[in-house]
Amino acid sequence: MKPEIDVAELKEIISHSPQKPSSLIAVLQDIQRKFHYLPPEAIKETSSALGVPLSQVYSVATFYSAFSLEPRGKHTCRICMGTACHIKGAPMALEQAEDQLGIKAGQTTPDLRFTLEVVNCVGACAMAPVVIIDEKYYGNVRVDKMKRYLDGVRDED
Amino acid sequence: MKIQINGRWYEAREGEMVLDVLRREGIDVPALCAHEAVEPYGACRLCMVEITHEDWGGWKGNVTSCLYPVEDKLIVQTHTEDIIELRKTVLNLLLARCPNSPEIQKLASEYGIDTTSFVPREDADNCIMCGLCTRVCTQMGFNAISVAGRGYGREIATPLKEAPPDCVGCLACVKICPTHHIQYEDIGTTREIWGRQFELVKCKQCGKALITREFADYLIENRDIPADYFDICDDCKRSGTARDFKKLVHWEEKEEAEEEVSA
Ligand code: SF4
Ligand code: SF4
Ligand code: FES
Ligand code: FES
Repeated sequence: MKPEIDVAELKEIISHSPQKPSSLIAVLQDIQRKFHYLPPEAIKETSSALGVPLSQVYSVATFYSAFSLEPRGKHTCRICMGTACHIKGAPMALEQAEDQLGIKAGQTTPDLRFTLEVVNCVGACAMAPVVIIDEKYYGNVRVDKMKRYLDGVRDED
Repeated sequence: MKIQINGRWYEAREGEMVLDVLRREGIDVPALCAHEAVEPYGACRLCMVEITHEDWGGWKGNVTSCLYPVEDKLIVQTHTEDIIELRKTVLNLLLARCPNSPEIQKLASEYGIDTTSFVPREDADNCIMCGLCTRVCTQMGFNAISVAGRGYGREIATPLKEAPPDCVGCLACVKICPTHHIQYEDIGTTREIWGRQFELVKCKQCGKALITREFADYLIENRDIPADYFDICDDCKRSGTARDFKKLVHWEEKEEAEEEVSA
């Protein structure tokens, strides 16, 4: 399911930055923040507004992992699968999260609420296993608490 | 200035890269991502050579010749044991990436590699990611295609994987690709490339279709080419010139004949 994109809103976001090629990354970041992904319209609008060839906008948009060309959930749940977290039960946390959300790692729930991802070592091995929901880090996660963490985020909406 | 290659001295010009001299002198060094039409890029790593200099206190190193500018009295070795090993490793990797490419197979076998020791890529295409196609397209001023993605998933792609709006169907990318990876098709007066279709301009005399309307218009507008230049194809122009020439010759003969008569 692709969310509706309000082109006027898109133009408005783009207009916040100086209309020149060097604004490219900043503009894409702003759009990503707002829509949680870069819709095709965004790639095209950005190209014409900043005077950067479409192919180059696409190249940059696909290079950085901070950008996504697929719709993403409002919230992102990342499960660390680095060595330390792996040993401390991360695969079970992932399994729990997958069950709770009804999706696999790398996917987004159809209601665009959650995107589930695995990452490799976030540098907090001392508190393994680590789960990151949006900007918040949860350390020493109890696998049976995955539901509670996710519900907590849901309740805040 | 002069540089020494494999023990012999050669003339080199300021601003040239070592590879330019190697190519001019016909010294065989594989180089898949360098082309005179575009700036060097250093992607394929096959053109590595060893360099040293009498002023360097015995220091020597391996560099990509396509990116190394010449300097007076530079000493170059193109086939040291180390260099051959390096090229073998690169070819071994390229063969894993493009196991079906005749060009890569041939080059690898020249270095004694018939099968890669790595796991060959599944569903492999023949793109070695040399970046010549994207660079030539940019150089031409079209910027229709680019490198997309990163790491293992890096590929040459059109924006959003759709038919590229900035492509003019000039075929520069097709012609420059060292492994013939980029496909196109001319059917009648239609050209298809990168999932886009172009109408071809037909020669007003013989009807042969040769260039896309978009590319012709671009050249007329930007390269100081007369607006009717593409109305008639080169072959017809040539036979036209030949006809004119014949007329000219016969006219002179006629003149001579007339002169004789009057004399
Ligand atoms: S055919 Fe299209 S993609 Fe290829 S070089 Fe020409 S403009 Fe670029
Ligand atoms: S398509 Fe051809 S020219 Fe383009 S990067 Fe791949 S191998 Fe090089
Ligand atoms: S392995 Fe998970 S934080 Fe290091
Ligand atoms: S030709 Fe020098 S790296 Fe490819």
